[in-house]
Amino acid sequence: MIDLRAMTDPTLIRNFSIIAHIDHGKSTLADRVLELTHTIEDRDMMEQVLDSMDIERERGITIKAQAVRVLYEADDGKTYTLNLIDTPGHVDFTYEVSRSLAACEGVLLVVDAAQGVEAQTVANALMAMNAHLEIIPLINKIDLPSAEPERVRHEIEEALQIPADEAVLTSAKTGEGVRAALESVVRRVPAPVGDPAAPLKALIFDSFFDAYRGVVALIRVVDGHVAAGMKIRMMATQTVTDVEEVGVRRPQQVPVSELGVGEVGYLITGLKDPSLVKVGDTVTAAKHGSLDPLPGYRDVKPMVYTGLFPIDGDQYPELRDALDKLRLNDPAIIYEPESSHALGFGFRCGFLGLLHMEIVKERLEREFDLDLLATAPSVEFHVFKTNGEEIAIHSPQDMPDPGVLDRVEEPYLKVTVLVPPEYVGAVMEMNDNHRSTFVNMQYLSATTVDMHYEMPLSELIMDYFDQLKSRTKGYASLDYEYIGYRESDLVKLDVLLAGKPVDALSFIVHKDKAYARGKVLTEKLRKIIPRQMFEVAIQAAIGGRIIARETVSAKRKDVIAKCYGGDISRKRKLLEKQKKGKKRMKNLGNVEVPQEAFMAILKVDD
Amino acid sequence: MASEAAMRPAVSSGLATLAADTAAAALPVSLYVHVPFCVSKCAYCDFHSVPGHESWRQPFVDAALFEVGHWSHHDLLDDVPTVYVGGGTPTLLGDGLVRLVRGLRETARIRPQAEFTVETNPETTDAILVAALIDGGVNRFSLGVQSFDDEILRILGRCHDAEAASGAARTLRDAGAAFSIDLICGVPGQSFESWDDTLEKAVASGARHVSVYPLTVEDGTPLAVAVESGSMPALDPDVAADMMLAADVALAAAGMPRYEVASYAQPGHEARHNQVYWSGGAYLGIGPSAASMLPHDTYVRLADGEGWPLPEQDGGQPPLARTRFSHSSDLPAYLRRPLTAPTELEHLSEAEVKREDVMLGLRLRRGVLAASVEAAGLTAVLGGLADKGLVSLSERDGDARWRTTEQGWLLGNEVFGSVWAGE
Ligand SMILES: Nc1nc2c(ncn2[C@@H]2O[C@H](COP(=O)(O)OP(=O)(O)O)[C@@H](O)[C@H]2O)c(=O)[nH]1
Ligand code: SF4
Ligand SMILES: [Mg+2]
Repeated sequence: MIDLRAMTDPTLIRNFSIIAHIDHGKSTLADRVLELTHTIEDRDMMEQVLDSMDIERERGITIKAQAVRVLYEADDGKTYTLNLIDTPGHVDFTYEVSRSLAACEGVLLVVDAAQGVEAQTVANALMAMNAHLEIIPLINKIDLPSAEPERVRHEIEEALQIPADEAVLTSAKTGEGVRAALESVVRRVPAPVGDPAAPLKALIFDSFFDAYRGVVALIRVVDGHVAAGMKIRMMATQTVTDVEEVGVRRPQQVPVSELGVGEVGYLITGLKDPSLVKVGDTVTAAKHGSLDPLPGYRDVKPMVYTGLFPIDGDQYPELRDALDKLRLNDPAIIYEPESSHALGFGFRCGFLGLLHMEIVKERLEREFDLDLLATAPSVEFHVFKTNGEEIAIHSPQDMPDPGVLDRVEEPYLKVTVLVPPEYVGAVMEMNDNHRSTFVNMQYLSATTVDMHYEMPLSELIMDYFDQLKSRTKGYASLDYEYIGYRESDLVKLDVLLAGKPVDALSFIVHKDKAYARGKVLTEKLRKIIPRQMFEVAIQAAIGGRIIARETVSAKRKDVIAKCYGGDISRKRKLLEKQKKGKKRMKNLGNVEVPQEAFMAILKVDD
Repeated sequence: MASEAAMRPAVSSGLATLAADTAAAALPVSLYVHVPFCVSKCAYCDFHSVPGHESWRQPFVDAALFEVGHWSHHDLLDDVPTVYVGGGTPTLLGDGLVRLVRGLRETARIRPQAEFTVETNPETTDAILVAALIDGGVNRFSLGVQSFDDEILRILGRCHDAEAASGAARTLRDAGAAFSIDLICGVPGQSFESWDDTLEKAVASGARHVSVYPLTVEDGTPLAVAVESGSMPALDPDVAADMMLAADVALAAAGMPRYEVASYAQPGHEARHNQVYWSGGAYLGIGPSAASMLPHDTYVRLADGEGWPLPEQDGGQPPLARTRFSHSSDLPAYLRRPLTAPTELEHLSEAEVKREDVMLGLRLRRGVLAASVEAAGLTAVLGGLADKGLVSLSERDGDARWRTTEQGWLLGNEVFGSVWAGE
């Protein structure tokens, strides 16, 4: 057994990541690695141990990248220190992947032996190539009767242009091939190189907030070393502080005396202010430190924006606080205060995608005990006014009057869809309805077609992914890449309830689709808005012209007349429950509107 | 009307007057006995009752009488203005019910002219039993008919047909007993013709009191399962509203005006027991799942003796005025030990009592004195409800009263919920 407290010889260190399309088995593979290296004893082993957040366990997906150190006794008789970094696979979390990669020298690219290459297999592999990492293809789930390792090998070579003859065949389920995978890591992933004598230089590649310890940063040491008691400087924020503790994650935190060249671990400074410890920043010594920081990460650009409002207006300060804390853990979120006539004070928040948005909302509600209302997602539009002014808007509310509009541009994407050939027709038909332009397509194998489109992002956030999944029986996989802004004929569609415009329900839509969307939306809202004491008109309007109308007729009966044997307590409780239900709704000019109403626009396609 | 009122000041004018009238006398406490047995379970029923269990029926009567004896011994039942034996289907007890009724009379001090109601269903309304019950002091029956349409009875999962319902009504009428009929409207598949016909037959049956309930789907009932699975259409609240309005018109025309949100009666035949519920009168529930309401100090006296839970008062809160409690619906446990501590317990402050009295009083046609509303701090709330047309303020004989409007009856939850919440 090696003493964890001693600094590790860099030649015996391998830092690697596992990357894959979602569900191809990254987390399960990580579990097997932890077992095989006796990092976690069997009795502590839960499935997918590294997915420690509640939401991750419930949804069975990995959201936050996790780092863990394991000790591996290789066939050459030496014991290696492997730093394994599990990464998320969903397209929204590409950013997390890129951060993890910056701490590594190599990756295990996991591909499902039955599913084959999918969209994020390609996207993640390209990211690893751009970072000049060693890529070890690994074909997983070979225990499945439907496994076709030879076909998958061919797809990897075809789609990624990387040799796959040395791909490792594994079953993360049975453990078969896992040792072989680690042998490949030891043999093929380069050992980290750095100068132990140079001033400290370490990259913060992740961080989170611990209620007792303050900000915990995950770091990768490039040069020099860091130890408890040292004075350090965060180069971007110029914050100087003492190191309280350094350690490694196994996966629970184990303090060590110092971290040296090539090592991955955690750093606690006692700093409580999240904004002082930035992911991507370089840590160096406070005195005689390094002057040139490591290359930071590319700035993440939010793709979708939504308004988040506390249902109880008094919780606005709590929401601000919660966002500040969450951002530390998830720097991909951006937010600025927003106010709405209908919903009061809240924040306009930018997210990487819809799943990211959903997860952040859920985390805010669970971890900070907030009740939030989200408005329909929007993208960043570029508005050019007749007076030559140019503005970027993130909220339909900010769209200027048509009178002063010269033109509007919206973000476009290059969309990649991988599907079995029998669904090509369905995808084409569906994309036609999403204002997309077909670019080309390519057969990767007899079972996989790679289709390319250009499409406005605003179409993609309209329930596109769910529809794609349902039209292809779940076989399609999707990836996208931002390609720039293009002019579009866009209009703002307003929704009026009982004659009053509700700003939080407005959205921006292509002119050709406005009429149909307005009609479906009003129909949808009619079903969502419960009957009230009076008739409620629901109208959709463009620039003051009504294009669709529905009415919710007045509620006529709402009484539980029966009150048996004088059980008045029970009856009163029912009334209290009903009243509470109403409080969860938003009262807009006397109309009680349930929360789903604000998301109804997402479900109006077809 | 005037003479009726004079005859029964205790029930019709509420606890306040009552306390003044009988200053030194015992607290009037009405009695409710819950008999938890039925022939079979109806599709919509979420009351506590079990089919079968024949061997448990006599032990149940023993347990209920034991309980009544216990409370009488503790001076709680020294002035009983009304008795209601409900369920379930009390008449399923047969002779046991006669034993129960006689036992109640012998044990509790029931007023000589007290209203004494027994609930019954068509399949168990037997002429000999009815005669024995009347002989034992029962003077009113409540007959669960629900509908005079076989198809609707089938949908409701009732175990009798329309013919049996008419027969039961005839039995009661022939026995010379006053009786009430319960009806359900808004049943999926129920036509307006069927409903009109049911109302007509109810009137013709000789009932002097009719209760009309819109069907509600209670969680976990077979009806709820049928609606969820789509094998039965969802209820249409508009249809139920129209049927409630039709009942209002038909029954008023037949000389039974509505006096409470769900109740219609010939003048003088209003259910006195139910009015105790709506007017803040005390009552004691006997049997599993039965609910009770007592002035708080009376509860404290009993609880002290029984070792029941008392509220934790640290002096900071307003004093408590009223306590509501009910027993568990665990029948075997009840049979083993009828006097266990309540499972549901609720203590109301004076302010809550005032709000509750207004809420309950608005169920009654006669409404609530404007002064009581003001004292409960609810004038603004009722003003708001008046703007929505759900209540109105009117003055008659110098008394300003808030009354629920026709629309207010239909949207009762709106009215009662706002009053209770005080907003
Ligand atoms: N049969 C089989 N199932 C596997 C294997 N590896 C993972 N799985 C299953 O595939 C699903 C997704 O695995 P997970 O590790 O969460 O994938 P991730 O999304 O890439 O992290 C889970 O149900 C695993 O149990 C394998 O080798 N064989
Ligand atoms: S008769 Fe009444 S208590 Fe008995 S099952 Fe039917 S509805 Fe329920
Ligand atoms: Mg996972």
